[in-house]
Amino acid sequence: MAGGSEKKSSEDANDLQTFNAENLQSNMKVIYYSRTFLSIIGGVIAGILGFTGLTGFIFYFLIMAITSIGLIAKAKFSVHSYFDSWNRIILDGFFGGLMSFVLFWTFAYDIVHIF
Amino acid sequence: MAEDLVLDTAIRDWVLIPLSVVMVLIGVLRYFVSKLMRSYQVPDAKIVKEGQVIVRARNLRSGANFIPPKAFRARRVYFSNEENGLLFVPKGQAQNAQAQMFSDPNMAMDMMKKNLSMIIPQTLTFAWVNFFFSGFVAAKIPFPLTQRFRSMLQNGIDLSTVDVSYVSSRSWYFLNLFGLRGLFSLILGEENAMDDTQRMMQMSGFGFDPTKSLSAEKDSLDIIQHEWALPKFEQRAEAVLRKLVS
Repeated sequence: MAGGSEKKSSEDANDLQTFNAENLQSNMKVIYYSRTFLSIIGGVIAGILGFTGLTGFIFYFLIMAITSIGLIAKAKFSVHSYFDSWNRIILDGFFGGLMSFVLFWTFAYDIVHIF
Repeated sequence: MAEDLVLDTAIRDWVLIPLSVVMVLIGVLRYFVSKLMRSYQVPDAKIVKEGQVIVRARNLRSGANFIPPKAFRARRVYFSNEENGLLFVPKGQAQNAQAQMFSDPNMAMDMMKKNLSMIIPQTLTFAWVNFFFSGFVAAKIPFPLTQRFRSMLQNGIDLSTVDVSYVSSRSWYFLNLFGLRGLFSLILGEENAMDDTQRMMQMSGFGFDPTKSLSAEKDSLDIIQHEWALPKFEQRAEAVLRKLVS
């Protein structure tokens, strides 16, 4: 999943950071794909389980948090050798998957509960 | 919650699913059509040169602290020198490039083609949805919204006592429009999410890029404070080795 993230040298003694831009970008894409995919799956699950209202949105944040944790675990907890800051892996694309989540949530909810 | 409407199963089969399927198919079709219609544009030599100059300046900026101060300053003067520095663009010339970009017939045609390929399927599908699927409740959104959204979401339904969660097919169309972007980016490979705003920015970038970003690069190059990292390397090496040994 986080494949293609080669080692980027980041010097920790002082502020100098050197990053391979291409790898950084490819890692960003991996995050984006993971989040999109999981928000779609999460939407279907939320619809099938019949979440309504606030519960559904809380479920969405839960899914995003699980995505973040999964990505951090895949990066073997050394975030700095794959990304340039913590914020990237945690917050990036947080709300991007919201619309897909709502779409698939509505879809599954309707199909299952108002059939 | 208010009374639970029981909706006909046929709505499920003949409205929700076909609409989604049609939108996915139209998206895929548009992707292939835009691939076929993409005319290869011969890049202008001057623009490519300027782009490369910008890339060089950017590399200089990012690697500034790894070269000795004199070398850095020499390179900086080479770039931002008033008379013949590479990044210095006289004001008169700046305007010209912009006007040229926009009156270039090829560029205009390409922009129009891209805009049209975005707008036409959306308009057609919207008209189709309005014509066939109006006047009944299509779906129920699982979260409640306030009364102000009623006119937006329930436009075909003229009963004012129905819960705002029950929406018409027009709002299902819009929900699909926004939600399928993520799906498209997954199944069509990168760069094909339907981000029309992003694409328009890219198109206008051709016209503005040379002039504005040159002066931007020049400014950012002037700002940089040079701090040579070499003296500190020994301490860094010592720290690393110490960590390894202990």
